[in-house]
Amino acid sequence: MDSGRADFTRDVEIAKDFLSNFADLHGEAKYIGLLQDVANRKTKAIEIDIEDLFNYKDLDEEFVRRVTENTRRYIGIFAEAIDVLMPEPTEAFPDDDHDILMTQRTEEEPDGTEKVDSKQRMPPEIKRFYEVYIKASSKVQPFTIREVKASNIGHLVKISGIVTRCSDVKPLMQVAVYTCEECGFEIYQEVTARVFMPLFECPSSRCRTNNAKGNLILQLRASKFLKFQEAKMQELAEHVPKGHIPRTMSVHLRGELTRKVAPGDVVELSGIFLPIPYTGFKAMRAGLVADTYLEVMSVSHFKKKYEDYELEGDEEEKIARLAEDGDIYNKLSRSLAPEIYGHEDIKKALLLLLVGAPHRTLKDGMKIRGDLHICLMGDPGVAKSQLLKHIINVAPRGVYTTGKGSSGVGLTAAVQRDPVTSEMVLEGGALVLADMGICAIDEFDKMDDSDRTAIHEVMEQQTVSIAKAGITTSLNARTAVLAAANPAWGRYDMRRTPAENINLPPALLSRFDLMWLILDRADMDTDLELARHVVYVHQNKESPALGFTPLEPSLLRAYISAARKVSPSVPRELEEYIATAYSSIRQEEARSNTPHSYTTIRTLLSILRISAALARLRFSETVAQSDVDEALRLMQMSKFSLYSDDRQKSGLDAISDIYSILRDEAARTNKMDVSYAHALNWISRKGYSEAQLKECLEEYAALNVWQIHPNTFDIRFIDA
Amino acid sequence: MVGREYDLVGNPLGAVRSTFEKAIEGQADPPLLIDGKDWGSTQLFRQFLIDQPSALSQIPILDRTSLPHLQPNTLVRYRGMIQDMLGNEFYVGVHKDAGGAWTTNKFTDVSHIPFGTLSENTRIWERRLLYCVPVPGQNIWAESYSESVASTRSNVTTLHGEKRPREDCADMDFQASDQDFQGSTSAKKMRENMHSPQLSRHEEYILEGSTPNSDMVPNFDIKSLSCLVKIYDTPESELKLNDVFEFVGILTFDPKLAAEDDTCDELCEDALVHLPPSKVPRLHCIVHRKLAIHDFLSASLTLEPKSSLVKGVRESLLGHLTSVLGNDDLAAQFMLLHLLSGVHTRVGLVAVGKLSLNLTCFSKETLTVFGNRIKVAIENLVPFTMCMPLTIDHLNSASLAPAKDYQTNRLVSGPLQLSDGTHLTVDETQLQTGTLNSVGVENLRLLKTLLESQKVDYDFKYYKMEMAADAQVLILSEGKSNILPADVALPFHPQSPGVSEYMDMEALKAWRCYLATFRSLQHSIDSDMQKIVEDDLVAARRSDRSLGSSDFSRLLTMARLVSMSFGETCLTIEHWQMVMELERLRRERSNQPK
Repeated sequence: MDSGRADFTRDVEIAKDFLSNFADLHGEAKYIGLLQDVANRKTKAIEIDIEDLFNYKDLDEEFVRRVTENTRRYIGIFAEAIDVLMPEPTEAFPDDDHDILMTQRTEEEPDGTEKVDSKQRMPPEIKRFYEVYIKASSKVQPFTIREVKASNIGHLVKISGIVTRCSDVKPLMQVAVYTCEECGFEIYQEVTARVFMPLFECPSSRCRTNNAKGNLILQLRASKFLKFQEAKMQELAEHVPKGHIPRTMSVHLRGELTRKVAPGDVVELSGIFLPIPYTGFKAMRAGLVADTYLEVMSVSHFKKKYEDYELEGDEEEKIARLAEDGDIYNKLSRSLAPEIYGHEDIKKALLLLLVGAPHRTLKDGMKIRGDLHICLMGDPGVAKSQLLKHIINVAPRGVYTTGKGSSGVGLTAAVQRDPVTSEMVLEGGALVLADMGICAIDEFDKMDDSDRTAIHEVMEQQTVSIAKAGITTSLNARTAVLAAANPAWGRYDMRRTPAENINLPPALLSRFDLMWLILDRADMDTDLELARHVVYVHQNKESPALGFTPLEPSLLRAYISAARKVSPSVPRELEEYIATAYSSIRQEEARSNTPHSYTTIRTLLSILRISAALARLRFSETVAQSDVDEALRLMQMSKFSLYSDDRQKSGLDAISDIYSILRDEAARTNKMDVSYAHALNWISRKGYSEAQLKECLEEYAALNVWQIHPNTFDIRFIDA
Repeated sequence: MVGREYDLVGNPLGAVRSTFEKAIEGQADPPLLIDGKDWGSTQLFRQFLIDQPSALSQIPILDRTSLPHLQPNTLVRYRGMIQDMLGNEFYVGVHKDAGGAWTTNKFTDVSHIPFGTLSENTRIWERRLLYCVPVPGQNIWAESYSESVASTRSNVTTLHGEKRPREDCADMDFQASDQDFQGSTSAKKMRENMHSPQLSRHEEYILEGSTPNSDMVPNFDIKSLSCLVKIYDTPESELKLNDVFEFVGILTFDPKLAAEDDTCDELCEDALVHLPPSKVPRLHCIVHRKLAIHDFLSASLTLEPKSSLVKGVRESLLGHLTSVLGNDDLAAQFMLLHLLSGVHTRVGLVAVGKLSLNLTCFSKETLTVFGNRIKVAIENLVPFTMCMPLTIDHLNSASLAPAKDYQTNRLVSGPLQLSDGTHLTVDETQLQTGTLNSVGVENLRLLKTLLESQKVDYDFKYYKMEMAADAQVLILSEGKSNILPADVALPFHPQSPGVSEYMDMEALKAWRCYLATFRSLQHSIDSDMQKIVEDDLVAARRSDRSLGSSDFSRLLTMARLVSMSFGETCLTIEHWQMVMELERLRRERSNQPK
């Protein structure tokens, strides 16, 4: 071990060199500054980042390896180095008991000529008023608890998990100090384990030579204690393989790291994985089995928010590649709930809900929400709930609840009496928990009206106000609401008007940006499609091939989080366009004698929000006209999903209606040419299909109203 | 080949040690083996079990009755379900003793060398701890050994002789009978004696099959013995929660250590503290094998698909079910399909292959006559059965799902922690009106998800974990159960109270074997048939708009089960028509006013 010892002295030198010379990105001596703070009693913890060791130019990698594989030893080495480097305090601070004791001790020390005795020598630990932690590199992917193996014993590891239990913070003796009744010397005993054998006989040479067997008295005030807390970690649900039980691990938190975690916290810890050798009787019984624990070195809380999403590995590259690929909008929306067949426009809307628009705060402090709210309404058994659950899975922060199962209190917030302290405490409900995320509410129609009113505030102001039991406050609930509801009589009743079928108050309805009706229509093709699907599933034991490979949910999440960082704005030249579109919707509504929709200024905001979300998907800082067109199309499609039946009742047949749409548009733009893409866009906004457009084009071309380009299908009106 | 150099059953540790010594012979110091890999000891035992078909029967079975007679550090076998996983245990795998020789501690609990601090002379290895219990709901007849004992008394000797050659070639075929057992130790004799009275009672009980006796629910508690199995060198994915395994390994069980009690502070909730070695024996697993339902039947019978025998067995079983169900032929047909059902694949959120059955129209009278009779009949046919009376009190108080107890760091089992293939009867007729509290609502939700997607949410307090299940659920109710949506709801119309019927053991065995064999049959639909099925489904939907994908799925499942019940692997038009006919009859009966 002699050579080993020599290595350690050399490593103390390396540590000293590192601490005094390491400069961070700004060229400042990070650790010297930290030491000065410690000397001035501003802070107690000295956290040495492995990352810094890596980046330190003069360091050999062997040293880093030694530190990570024998971390506990190297904490001592760094402490030794720090003892030497510790600067004098530059600021005055009041002496506490500890300092007074220390000055006395140092005064006594020089006259002790019989310092040979190790028990009498003051251990360096008692002089230290700081704690050294070595923190694992933040770039390393954390282990799950299951991945920590026997080979990791003694190493610095990083794990992630959920805290399930915490003990009280207790004092842990680090150095026991005794005084001898006979000789009056202070005797020190360093404690490294949780249990220690107190000294009874004075080991000082004076007592020994006198054969006095001096009686030792433990001095609690003079001893050094450390705060100590034990906790249990458990694997996160997503890290547990199918058919297995989450593993647990005990962790020890000391000093400044105590009280950093509470049960239920999702945390990432770095620490040293160590065995606890059993002592005494237990060792005989347990034989060779060792308990293990993690000596925590750093704690960081996990945040499940888009804003904090960190891209992993090659995700950045993948996203860049996806963004370059033109068809990103379709590709992403198809990858949402790929098992659910069809519903392309709904999936597009849900994608936009995930992306959202930026929040705006006006100069006078008024806030305009950026979250999109969507309501899905439809017959039972059209996979509404599955869509909801899937969206919650994709969203990094999502809460799923049912209207029936949650009272107004369960959705917003509740004031409860704490059973232990009998104090009133505020507990957030589903909407508050989904702050900065998505709240999916199933069975929205079955909710009591009184509960539903609680949602009104959340959906527009994005806060929850509480005035209960003497607590008046307002909590943030910046959440996107995704609701699913059945029509008024369980199934959609064709004989009644849509408004009767929907049966939600206008005040609530106007708060939804988009509203989709999913009907289970009698249709030979879809029936056959359904039968085929079920037979295929039974025959081949898997879902039929989708015709495309859906993107991984993790990649989807990464892309969306990247998109959410963009905050697009509407350019001046588009303002006019949007205003015209809005006023035309208003006029259309005024013209019809039975207005179905409630087009208000909120509709305008919705258009802007959807356009902004579309721009975000393109990673564009400005909203383009195509975004607005798509937003209008989606809104129109959502409306037609509700009212398509009336349209059939109206006198115009589809073909001539399409013709008039195209003619009007051409007249508006004063052009004789209409490109096929534009035509398709316009007619689909009115709820017609591409097949109908083609039919119309052929029919009117035969009448020589227009000419059709044989390849591109572009339209040219013949002047008459 | 090491051969019979050692007494593998009596002194397995000796064999382990000597192979270790052989393996490190001539190696440098420290030997290469110290990374924890196996050095051929497992292979030795595996070879031993394969080479001699009788080997397995030489290994005594570990249970409550045999435990006092078993010697520690001998080879035993144990059958059980993995109820909990206690994580990893670190132990000193190899160490160097004073003489400088390396020795191993694999497969042992206690070593004679004191545990020092970590040093150059020790290596820490890890093993996994599994907490195993006897399979919940296991019926008495399914306890393999009692079955084997029974076979010695009946005339299956000839059958067994035929079986022999097959076993020789099958690797790891553990289904040897106790008959080959030669080394008649006192322990073994003891066990036979202890089983005999119980067995005769068991037989009586079968003969009395028609007179319901509620006291005869499987009372496995008497003999249930949980066991802490320590697993070495096996990939994690091989052993899953709720799987049923047979473990062969070294028993360490020392009641002497039991007396010591341990003082433990607040957070030191080592799970092992709650499982003292005096109550829970430790088994150091060397070889393990996953068990299917078939392994719980007597090994003497096999039914080949497509044989003429199948049809006969099917007919007789159907006849039996019909008489149990009071000559309700339709109910018997559905019951047969129900008993054959099982999740065979999961697509997205859908569990394909399940067919839960809801028999409605039970009144107080019909229930007293048929309730228990159905229960007993199912108990006699399926190895694992559970019954759950649905009452407000039960729902409000019981915790059906397993939940994690963080005080003891254990997964507390619930009635819904079931091994795959367990039959669950839910008796809804006992439900009265009343108020459900939050526990009750949660319990009903659990039952509903079990029925709908064959999944159970295990409660880990901070989050729920979905575990896949595969339970056949039968619901008895007065009206169609709305809180527990079964796949098939059928009004139960018994014609006559039914006559008590003599059941002979041979037929019973054949039925059990039939159900176990054809449950897992591979099945397919060829493309022509697919076309017909698709068209029929579309036509059905056109006539009734309320049919959805779940109904389609149910019809296809029924088609598969009907086909399988005839031992066919491919759907034929006759069977498909039979399904449509069954469905028509069911609808007709459901719609007719009572």
